[in-house]
Amino acid sequence: MPDVQVTIDGHQVSVPANSTVLDAAKVAGIDIPELCAHDALKPIGACRMCLVEVEKQRVLHPACTFPVSEGMVVHTASDAVLGARRFVLQLLFSERNHFCMYCQTSGSCTLQDLAYEHGLTHWEFDRAFPKMPVDASRQFFVMDHNRCILCRRCIRACDELVGNRTLGLKNRGADTMVIADMDIPFGDSSCISCGTCMQMCPTGALMDRASAYMGATDEITRVPSRCSLCSVGCGVELIVRGNRVIRVEGDWDAEPNKGLICEVGRFGLLHERRQRVRKPLVKADGALADADWDDALQKAAEGLKSAESAVVVSGFSSTEAAQAAVNQLPGKKMALGGALVNGDNAPLSVLDETDLIIVADVDLTEGYNYRMASFPIKRSARHRGVRVILLDDEPNGLDAWARYKWSPDEAERAVELAQHAEMPVIVYDQHSAALAQELAAQLPKAKTIGFAPEGNTAGLAEVGISEPFANDGFSAYYVIAGEAAEVPQELMDALAKADFVAVQASYREPWEDVADVILPSPVMFEKDGSLVNTEGRSFELKAGVTTRRPSEVEVIERLGALL
Amino acid sequence: MIDVDPREIIEIIGRNGADAPLISVLEEIQTKYRYLPREAMILVSEAFGLPLSQIYSVATFYNAFSLERRGRHEACVCVGTACHVRGAKRVLSHLEEKLGIKAGETTPDWNYTLDTVHCLGACALGPIVVVDGEYSGQMHAKKVDELLARIEQADEGEA
Ligand code: SF4
Ligand code: SF4
Ligand code: SF4
Ligand code: FES
Ligand code: FES
Repeated sequence: MPDVQVTIDGHQVSVPANSTVLDAAKVAGIDIPELCAHDALKPIGACRMCLVEVEKQRVLHPACTFPVSEGMVVHTASDAVLGARRFVLQLLFSERNHFCMYCQTSGSCTLQDLAYEHGLTHWEFDRAFPKMPVDASRQFFVMDHNRCILCRRCIRACDELVGNRTLGLKNRGADTMVIADMDIPFGDSSCISCGTCMQMCPTGALMDRASAYMGATDEITRVPSRCSLCSVGCGVELIVRGNRVIRVEGDWDAEPNKGLICEVGRFGLLHERRQRVRKPLVKADGALADADWDDALQKAAEGLKSAESAVVVSGFSSTEAAQAAVNQLPGKKMALGGALVNGDNAPLSVLDETDLIIVADVDLTEGYNYRMASFPIKRSARHRGVRVILLDDEPNGLDAWARYKWSPDEAERAVELAQHAEMPVIVYDQHSAALAQELAAQLPKAKTIGFAPEGNTAGLAEVGISEPFANDGFSAYYVIAGEAAEVPQELMDALAKADFVAVQASYREPWEDVADVILPSPVMFEKDGSLVNTEGRSFELKAGVTTRRPSEVEVIERLGALL
Repeated sequence: MIDVDPREIIEIIGRNGADAPLISVLEEIQTKYRYLPREAMILVSEAFGLPLSQIYSVATFYNAFSLERRGRHEACVCVGTACHVRGAKRVLSHLEEKLGIKAGETTPDWNYTLDTVHCLGACALGPIVVVDGEYSGQMHAKKVDELLARIEQADEGEA
């Protein structure tokens, strides 16, 4: 269909024929307020905030759902439109509790911004002011029904984007409420705490415990960066106030996650319980004690020089740190998290295009396991009827989304089905690489997504650190650990036996017992650099905050100079 | 709670087929059990591939569905304006006293559920009491007693 010409507030624009008036206004650079509409969601026209005047139409229409047509003339700032907007706002404000001065979201609330913009100074209507419950049963964020305007963004995000479909509505009219599953506490429900609903909420109804009352728009900065906690490498925005990251959000413009992030990326580091390493620590008489940088580095250098040493680098390190280790430190280099599994990975976007997905013996819903990747799988299963086959003997977080579940020993059943698929996709990680290979060998049309362990194992490989850790009996180790928490037992055993161990780590755990020296390492919020995700894309890591401690690279260089 | 036999519910779902309108299946379950048992909603959710929240949404949207088990007889007193000025309040409190429950409740023997409604559109007949869909107009305490006695008799006849 050819494009159509539309005139909005006197500006002529040409837009695709299937656009809405709101789409066309965006093209024309004209701002129409929206509450229930969101670029990532299908419009439903629920809130009526976006009403516009369309010439030759009897009544005002919601711009977010009203389709354009050739020659249409639209007014977005006429008296009728402004009056209607104020009326809609008055209704929204009189429905529940919107005493902004007591709200933790005051200052960064879309609803409040609109009220200021439209000059609301008082309540024109009596307030119904019902007493609504507050659900604080989830660990990281709270639902306060008193602030909810029933725009349904959260419900649609949970359904359309995350594919989790936890949320819904109960009752009708003024009694309508957002619920989880069959109206059970959110914390007991099928919610996976990804927080997408909260990031979507245009009011203070969904609030983050960590940043409540702190996030006023004019007091924060948003730093675009990456989550380096797993190899999806989601694009994030660090919400920073006073040199502190108070919240993490998904970056709507970023690939491959398009605004979504998982529980680990959103809440993990901010709620980390392990004790940070803030000063260098040196073991004396069996206990770690604070030391100054020179002494600690000296101690580390002595220990490493006197023995045959190896360097173990985690995928939580930036590519620059890995490069520095290669250039500056002697000894064999090994990757802490394991091996890269696949040379020609398909991009994650194939999960939204495929007609059949085989999840080969990996649970994408737990730990650091590339959880964001479970969202396209879930939404494909729910909305595109994509068949998901699980090959797993254990319970799997995707059980409820799978059409078939068989033991990995029955892989041939999956092959049988997948043979007839247009574009089967096989998803796996390092533990199931052999199974995936076996499947792929029999499915010539298949694309594969093999997740690299940790955040930047692909970046390590690029600078030549591709061998996974193996216990070759070294007597001294230097471990560049970063945030690493899940460490292979084999490595811990080797460290326990070694004569000398120095670790560059963000947290004392799990290194305290085995390390002779621990040097502080920044966490992902604190470092600049780059990483390569499991798709092979290179991304920039940007520090949201500054610290006085030396960077990852500096520490390696200073140590290298002493060796 | 009455025992819900999953086989009966699966039978209802099966007979309607997976493309049947959700509401008609829920209605059939409601008629059978006089409410929508949670177990039934879970089974429906699985059979239709619909999220629990959506089943619950439909179940709480329509007045025809109840999430709590209802009594064998459903009595409803109109407390709309017209019935109110003609003494609905007295009729209601008499019924409450006789049944030993408040409006919105069900007797412990599951015999009666008592509800109120705001206007049935038959104001000239007020005050109105509806039992199991049958309207009785110009009600007062004595007529309530007679009505209840009649129902009891009919029940005994059946038993
Ligand atoms: S946190 Fe995620 S899974 Fe839970 S309700 Fe919100 S969007 Fe759905
Ligand atoms: S919780 Fe927020 S996003 Fe969800 S319906 Fe209410 S106001 Fe909208
Ligand atoms: S999926 Fe991985 S990269 Fe994305 S937010 Fe979660 S932990 Fe971070
Ligand atoms: S933004 Fe269009 S109706 Fe809500
Ligand atoms: S008020 Fe009772 S029928 Fe109208």
